[in-house]
Amino acid sequence: MKKRKLKNLQFGFALAIIFMMSNVWSAQEEKNNTGFAWKDGAEIYTKICAYCHEAQVGPQILNRELPAAYIRAVVRNGNRAMPAFRDSEIDDESLAKLADFISKKEAQH
Amino acid sequence: MTRKYIALPNGVSEKNFDAAISDFRRVLGDASVLTSAEQLAPYIKTMMPVPDADHTPSAALLATTVEQIQGIVAICNQYKVPIWMISTGKNLGYGSAAPAERGQVVLDLKRMNRILEVDKDLAFALVEPGVTYQQLYDYIKEHRLGLWLSMPAPSAIAGPVGNTLDRGVGYTPYGEHFLFACGMEVVLANGEVLRTGMGSMPNSNTWQVFKWGYGPYLDGIFTQSNYGIVTKFGFWLMPEPPAFKPFVIQYQHEEDIVEIVETIRPLRISGVIPNAVVIAHALYEAPVKAKRSDYVSGPGSIPDEAVYRIMKDHKLGIWNVYAALYGTQEQIDVNWKIVTQAFGQSGNAKILTEQEAADDPAFAYRAKLMRGEMTLTEFSLYNWRGGGGSMWFAPVSQARGSETLKQMALTKQILAKYGLDYSGEFIVGMRDMHHIVDVLYDKTDPEQTKAAYQCFDELLTEFSARGYGTYRVNTAFMDKVAETYGPVQRNVHKTLKKALDPNGILAPGKSGIR
Repeated sequence: MKKRKLKNLQFGFALAIIFMMSNVWSAQEEKNNTGFAWKDGAEIYTKICAYCHEAQVGPQILNRELPAAYIRAVVRNGNRAMPAFRDSEIDDESLAKLADFISKKEAQH
Repeated sequence: MTRKYIALPNGVSEKNFDAAISDFRRVLGDASVLTSAEQLAPYIKTMMPVPDADHTPSAALLATTVEQIQGIVAICNQYKVPIWMISTGKNLGYGSAAPAERGQVVLDLKRMNRILEVDKDLAFALVEPGVTYQQLYDYIKEHRLGLWLSMPAPSAIAGPVGNTLDRGVGYTPYGEHFLFACGMEVVLANGEVLRTGMGSMPNSNTWQVFKWGYGPYLDGIFTQSNYGIVTKFGFWLMPEPPAFKPFVIQYQHEEDIVEIVETIRPLRISGVIPNAVVIAHALYEAPVKAKRSDYVSGPGSIPDEAVYRIMKDHKLGIWNVYAALYGTQEQIDVNWKIVTQAFGQSGNAKILTEQEAADDPAFAYRAKLMRGEMTLTEFSLYNWRGGGGSMWFAPVSQARGSETLKQMALTKQILAKYGLDYSGEFIVGMRDMHHIVDVLYDKTDPEQTKAAYQCFDELLTEFSARGYGTYRVNTAFMDKVAETYGPVQRNVHKTLKKALDPNGILAPGKSGIR
């Protein structure tokens, strides 16, 4: 029991040293580019939704004037086999654009 | 159930969890620490036949930098809070984005999604965990790099880091993904950052070109494991060949699998057929073209007679062998002659190329997978039963015809006992085969869900009793599979765990390791 506590203490101490020293590699890490960000609703539709919803895997969802709130709910919760998509994949702002894109009438696409 | 959190980590009081969450917010900012039911909903949905409550996370953390992750592990060590790491979170049929155990905090690395380098000449990439195949595919196209990806069927929404770390496979000559991994950056439980192989040497420029470095090779222990958090990952890409010839060879009888495997093995080992060939059963391909309800109704597995009608109606073999040749046209011409001679000998094979089958939807998506093009058409499988239930049963087989026949027959027999269909394929490695069976069931039907669980359990029991090991499994069955590999391996895994993560904060339960 004592041995375990001592080990944990040593581990904690090692942690403290590491954070005090910062890290060699992360210091070298250059922010040479920023992460990925969606351009608009059409891009998300093409690069995620369409692979199923335009390929007879999932139902057609364009031109049905589906309510934006419904689209947001299905994307976040999934539906049967359709996977849920997290904020980290499609952030709230992008999801709003996607819902807007899907719920628009045909002429507006 | 507490009011403040939808779940708590095992053994962590609400008071301590409050403190941990507060510290996480300090490191990540409020917006990147998710605790509400609404925010966590997308992390809960799985396709497994167990209650979602068993895999409900207590929180999710959206980290974007190595420094943030170092801060997170320090907090986890302090409060003994376990984290479950995901990259794209699309390990569908293996547990999706949900943690192995209720209450674990998901460390979601999807936003850590920079493509750090793609080298055209040396044909490698270095990426962060959140990069999807679609993102990398677009980058390669945009920069005209002339490189091909190898990816699993959920291509566009999955990514190379998560797939390779779970030792997933694809369908090109680079299909055994971990074989083509080269260099990782790993945040260890104590906050240290390890770069494997040549990456450990300052100023080295060979991190992504030489796998082994010096001393024991470490990359393997960071796959299917919980010994570290991979934050950068290098891997090799295939130069786009001047010519590509996909083809399918159809057979009409289940017993023909013996002939198929005996014919393919020498071609695969010698490299005449260079890619990860797929031998797909009719019921694996049928959902792209047919509805189950058009052929059978009521409970029970689909009868063979109905399968034969599907084959006839939709131009499928009972076995459909998808393979491709890559290289110059001259190379392809020579190898095509060898392939057609080998398969033509018995008179049982029907060989189709793009000329005859380009419009066939099954052939079209298989051809895309074999050339690293994005497609999610394989998800048609989920329409076969409907209801969103799916588990991949994935035993390994020798690439020997008699073995594959035995495995197929045993799988089919056990599935039928529980009223489920055999939707199976064999992915051909050099000397092995990944026997991949989608155990499909209706998760909205409690009886079928219960049957699916029992069926999967029996499949694992019966296969391991015969010495057939499973290469990968969903989070509900990891302990059971770990047990089948015996006590010595489990002890070694545990010893490594204690050495590298004494507080057990990293993904406890992954591959049965705690």
